[in-house]
Amino acid sequence: MKIDLEKGLLNLHQISSAIHPLNGPEWDAFSSVWQTLECKRKTVLTTVGETERYLYFVIDGIQRVYYTDEKEREATLVFMYPPSFAGVLNSFLLQKPSPYFFETLTPSVLLKTSFNQLNALMDQYPAIEKLIRKGLSQVINGLLERQVELQCFSAEEKFRALLKRSPQVLQLISHKYLANYLGIDPTYFSKLMSSVRI
Amino acid sequence: MATHSTVLLLEKLQQQTERHIQKAIREWQNLSPEVFEQSENTASWNAAQCIEHLNIYGRYYIPAIERAIDRAIYRNSRPSPSFRSSWLGSYFTKLMLPEENGIPKKKMKTPAHARPVASLDTRKVIAEFIDQQEKLMQLMERASKINLNGARVPISIAKFIRLKLGDVFMFIVAHNYRHILQAERALAAAAKDRSTIKSANIPAPGFLHALAQSH
Repeated sequence: MKIDLEKGLLNLHQISSAIHPLNGPEWDAFSSVWQTLECKRKTVLTTVGETERYLYFVIDGIQRVYYTDEKEREATLVFMYPPSFAGVLNSFLLQKPSPYFFETLTPSVLLKTSFNQLNALMDQYPAIEKLIRKGLSQVINGLLERQVELQCFSAEEKFRALLKRSPQVLQLISHKYLANYLGIDPTYFSKLMSSVRI
Repeated sequence: MATHSTVLLLEKLQQQTERHIQKAIREWQNLSPEVFEQSENTASWNAAQCIEHLNIYGRYYIPAIERAIDRAIYRNSRPSPSFRSSWLGSYFTKLMLPEENGIPKKKMKTPAHARPVASLDTRKVIAEFIDQQEKLMQLMERASKINLNGARVPISIAKFIRLKLGDVFMFIVAHNYRHILQAERALAAAAKDRSTIKSANIPAPGFLHALAQSH
């Protein structure tokens, strides 16, 4: 859809300018490699074992990357919301089979570009490589911060921190996934819902 | 019997199911569990019971539909451009569907196995409902790869009756809609003297009503 592509590129321009501004020709090259993708709720975009060929940029909807195993354990690693980059980043960057699933949690509109296209752009334009490097630095920063929360915070502190950061998630995401993301039991999450006043 | 474009039918069924899921995620899971546990009178179900009633059917139909799809894929079934409702299939859908004003035409007696107990863990009931509806969405997506006329699912009340998968999807969505509205009425009654519950109306599944009138 043309409208989505325009809206998506506008968001992409805003976000990428905040990370590392591109000049005219650089932006023209960077913005030319994206296409839109529309999917329903609970669509699996990347399966375990499949190498992630795409980097995504979220225009609408929420997605998650999660781990699961034969013992039916599950870990929601990241939620993705607009406007941000999305996908199984380690599999994408290393071009190795993905250890995780990537799926939509609500109806979603995304932009996507392929590894080959992005790689060619990074070879050709140092500014695009810099944009990606700075973007990834922020991702690493976020992941380490979350690691501290997971290891040090009590369930209630994690619950409060999430609601302070993104209060809207309670109305957008099934509480089961939120509890899983925080690493707390869903029953305990329900208790916190009744007892904790934000 | 009514014939539908398969693609359009699945699309509409998914849209309606999406609305049901949004109701549960945006509203139900954020309300205090107590409002789900109050009944207007001893004869009527509270909201948790209405949702649990749907879960009971889901526990039967979701695995049954999954098996039907797996079998069809194994047999190399290919999608057909149109789906033809059977007489019995449309009869069931019509039976489930409430009137356009949201109230069922007539009360039905609930089979013993589908009667929800009175004391339920509301949060668990809502979580299971969301899980089931997500699964149903995924099954509808998978079903777009097979022939909805060919795959058949035994119905819960009489296993020797095997309905076409397309008909099963239709009456399940109609049945979900019926009891979601019933749950909403129970919630509205329970909330009367409490803080008001803001509730978004789910638009009626016009395509199912149109179908019901076409016979």
